[in-house]
Amino acid sequence: MSENNVPPAAATQSVLRLFSIPGLAKLGVGPLIAGVILLAIVVVTLLSPWLAPHDPLEMQPMLRLKGPMPDYPLGTDPYGRDLYSRVLIGGRVSLFIGIGAAIVSVLIGLVIGLIAGFFRMMDTVIMRVMDSLMAIPSILLAIALVALNGPSITSVIMAITIPEIPRVVRLVRSVVLSAREEPYVEAAIALGSSMPKILFRHLMPNTMAPLIVQGTYIVASAILTEAILSFLGAGVSTEIPTWGNIMAEGRQYFRIKPELILWPGLMLSLCILSINLLGDAARDMLDPRLKKRGE
Amino acid sequence: MLFKSRNFDEAKTVLRIEDLVVSLPPAAKVKPVLNGISLNIRQGETVCLVGESGSGKSVTSLAVMGLLPKNALMVTGGSITLSDTDLLAQSAGAMQDIRARRVAMIFQEPMTALNPVLRVGDQIEEVLESHTKLPADERRRRVIDIMEQVHLPDVERIYRSYPHQLSGGQRQRIMIAMALVLEPELLIADEPTTALDVTTQKQILSLIAELQEKHGTAVLFITHDMGVVAEIADTVYVMNHGDMVESAPIETLLSNPQEDYSRKLLAAVPSLTPRVPRPAPEGAPVLKVRRLNKIYGGGGLFVRRPDTHAAKEVSFDVARGRTLGIVGESGSGKSTVARCIMRLIEPTNGTIRLRDANIAHLSRKELKPHRKHLQVVFQDPFRSLNPRWTVGRSLIEGPVNYGQSPKQALKRAAELMEIVGLPRDSLDRYPHQFSGGQRQRIAIARAVAMQPDVLVADEAVSALDVSVQAQVLELLDDLQEKLGITIVFITHDLRVAAQICDDVLVMQRGEVVEHGPAGEVLGNPQHAYTRSLIEAAPGRSWDFANFRALGAA
Repeated sequence: MSENNVPPAAATQSVLRLFSIPGLAKLGVGPLIAGVILLAIVVVTLLSPWLAPHDPLEMQPMLRLKGPMPDYPLGTDPYGRDLYSRVLIGGRVSLFIGIGAAIVSVLIGLVIGLIAGFFRMMDTVIMRVMDSLMAIPSILLAIALVALNGPSITSVIMAITIPEIPRVVRLVRSVVLSAREEPYVEAAIALGSSMPKILFRHLMPNTMAPLIVQGTYIVASAILTEAILSFLGAGVSTEIPTWGNIMAEGRQYFRIKPELILWPGLMLSLCILSINLLGDAARDMLDPRLKKRGE
Repeated sequence: MLFKSRNFDEAKTVLRIEDLVVSLPPAAKVKPVLNGISLNIRQGETVCLVGESGSGKSVTSLAVMGLLPKNALMVTGGSITLSDTDLLAQSAGAMQDIRARRVAMIFQEPMTALNPVLRVGDQIEEVLESHTKLPADERRRRVIDIMEQVHLPDVERIYRSYPHQLSGGQRQRIMIAMALVLEPELLIADEPTTALDVTTQKQILSLIAELQEKHGTAVLFITHDMGVVAEIADTVYVMNHGDMVESAPIETLLSNPQEDYSRKLLAAVPSLTPRVPRPAPEGAPVLKVRRLNKIYGGGGLFVRRPDTHAAKEVSFDVARGRTLGIVGESGSGKSTVARCIMRLIEPTNGTIRLRDANIAHLSRKELKPHRKHLQVVFQDPFRSLNPRWTVGRSLIEGPVNYGQSPKQALKRAAELMEIVGLPRDSLDRYPHQFSGGQRQRIAIARAVAMQPDVLVADEAVSALDVSVQAQVLELLDDLQEKLGITIVFITHDLRVAAQICDDVLVMQRGEVVEHGPAGEVLGNPQHAYTRSLIEAAPGRSWDFANFRALGAA
C-alpha cells in the first residue's frame, strides 16, 4: 500500500501518533477528547481570578435573577452575583478538593498498604482497622466533622479521605503480597538488600500503575462527594463558591431560573466524565491484559 | 533399547499436512512461522514432533485444530487433510464439530484446561451432551466407562470431584478421558507430561499407548523431551524455526540422524551416566546441615489442621568446590530445604553451618554478613530479574549493599558479563531484551558478583531448552572450576543431576531416602524409591549423545 491512499480511520490514528505517547494511538479519540476537555476545565479554573469579570461574592440587589446580559454572560443569582464568575471560581475549590483528597488518600494508603503487605505481623491488625474505617459513610463523617470544626475545606478533604484510604490500602497490599513472592524480590533478599530498599525500590514501583488508575477515580468521586456535601449544607462554607453550593443555593429558584443548577451541574458532569474516561484509558494503557480482552 | 517398530505401510493415512505455510499478517515482512512443512500420520501411529521453543511445534497443532489466533497468524499455503476432509476449507461451525468428534487435544497443564468450578464427571459428560443425542443414563454410562478405561480409582467418587481435589496425574487422566470419549481419529497431545513427575509421566505415557492400541487412534505427540520420544514414538519429525528439518522412524533417527540440527539436538540430551568422579575434597565442609526440620503449622487461632512436615531430619555436608544434587519429585521437600539454606524461610529446628557459623535461626539483621557467602539462582529466568531495572543495576545491587562503590561494581559487572558469555553493553539493557538462557546467565552473574562460597541453584535449568541447558550447565561447571564455588543443585531431572553432581541426595515426602556419591546412587540405587525414579526416567537405556544404546560401546 502506498503512503498517500491511507484510509480515513488510519489518518486519525496517525494524527494521534503525532503525540507519540506509546499506546495513545491505540486507545482512540475518546480519551483524547476527554483529555482536552479536562485540560480546558483545569486551565480555565486556574486562571479564574483573572478570567472572572466580577467578584463572585459581590452582591447587586438591583440585578437579582437576571438573564444573560453582555456584562453577565450567564446571568445573575438570587443575590445578584455574577453566575459566570461564580461557576469559574467554584471549579477551583471543587478541583482542589478532588485532587487534594486523591493525593492525601493515595499517599497515606500507599504507606499503610506497603507496611501491611510486607510485614506479616502487622497485617491482620492493620487490615481490621481498615475494615472498620471502611464502614464509616463519608457523608455522615463530614456532617460530624463540620459540626465539630465548622465548615472548612480541610474538614471536607478529611471526610472524603478517611473512607477512601482503606480502598487504597487493600489495593497496595494485594500488589505487594503478590510481588513479594517474585523470585527477583527473594534474590534481592539473598543479595543482602535492606528492608527499606526492597520495599521502596523493588515493591513500590509495582503499585504505581494501579495507584494512578485508582487515583483518577478518587478524584472523580471526591469532586462528586464535595458537591453532595455542599448541596446538603455540610460542606465548605457558603462564602466560598463551589459547584456544589452554587447548585444548593439555586435549588429554590429552579423553576424560575434552571440555569442556576444547569451550568455548575454541566461543568461537574463534564469534569467527572472526562476524569473517568481518562482513568479507563490509563488502566487500558497500564494493564495490557485488560486491553486485550476489550479488543 | 526396545523401540516401537511397527509397520504402518498398510495403515490408512489419518492426517496429511502438505507444504503448510503459516505467516504473520502481511504487513510484517518476516519469515513465515511455518515454512512449508509436510507431515503424515497413519492410523494407530504415534508421531512425535520435536524441537526447541519457538520451532513451530505448537503452531502446527493449532493449525490442525483450526485454532490459530485470528488476525495474528494465518495459513497462507499448503493443505491439511484429515482422512479425506480438507480442514482448511471448513467453516468455523464445522471445525467445532470436527474438533470434538474427530480430532481431540490434550494440553500441558491440566489444571488450567479444566474448569475449576465444575465437577470433572460433568465436564466429560458435557462433551457427550453437546455432540451426541444420547439419553442421560447412556451418557453417564459412557463417562463411567471411559473413566475406568483411563484407570482412575474409585470412579464414582472422582466423578463427583472438582479438579483441585485431584492430583496432577489424575487430572491429566480426566483430560485424556474427555479427549477420547468420542473416539476421535486423531489425538493431539501438546507436552502432556511436561508438568508431571517422572513416575506419573511414565503412567500417563503407557496409558496413552494402551488406549491408542485399543481404539486405533493416531497420535500427534508434541514434546521437547527426547527421552519421551524414545519411549513412545513410531516416527519422529524434527522442527527448527518453522522448518521441518528431518523425519524418520524413531530408531533410524536416534541411531543415524542425517541433519546437523538433529545431531545437535540429540547430542545436547544429558546422559544418565554419572560424571567421572572428581578427587575427594580436602578440608572441612563449607556447608553443614544437621537434622533440619521445617514444619508448616496447621490452621490458625480457631481452626486446627494437621501440620505439614515439609522437611524431616535432613542432614548433609558439602565440601568446597563440590556439587550436591538434591533430587526428588514435586512435594518431596527439596525446595523447602533450599529455601531454608538460603534463609528465605526459617527452619523449625536443626542447624545450618555456613563456614562454621550457624545461620539457622539468625534474625534479618544478624544474617546480613552471612548473605554474601550464599547466593541463589532460581528456576524461572523471566521472573528472577526485576523487569524495571537495567541488567547493570541488578548486577551491582549486591556488591553495593556490601559497601562497594557503584563505579567499581559496574566495572566488575562488565567483566562478569564476559565471563558468562554476554556482551559488555548488555548492562544498559533491560531483562525483556534477552532470551531465557541469556537471562539465566545474567542471574548467575548476579549471584557470582557476590563471590559466594555456596550457590544454591533451584531448578536453575529446568525451564530451558536442552541445548541452552547444556550451555548453562557448562557455565556453572566452569565457574565452579575457576572460583571454587560449592553448588547445591536442586532438580527433579535425574539426567541433569547425573551431569553436574558429585553427590546426590534423594528426597521423598520430606525425608532423605538415599545419599551418596552420584555414581553409587544413580548406578546402584539401594532404596526402592530411587530405583523407581531411575526406572521412570524416559529413554534411560539410550545414549542420545553417542547415537547408540547404552552399554553397546
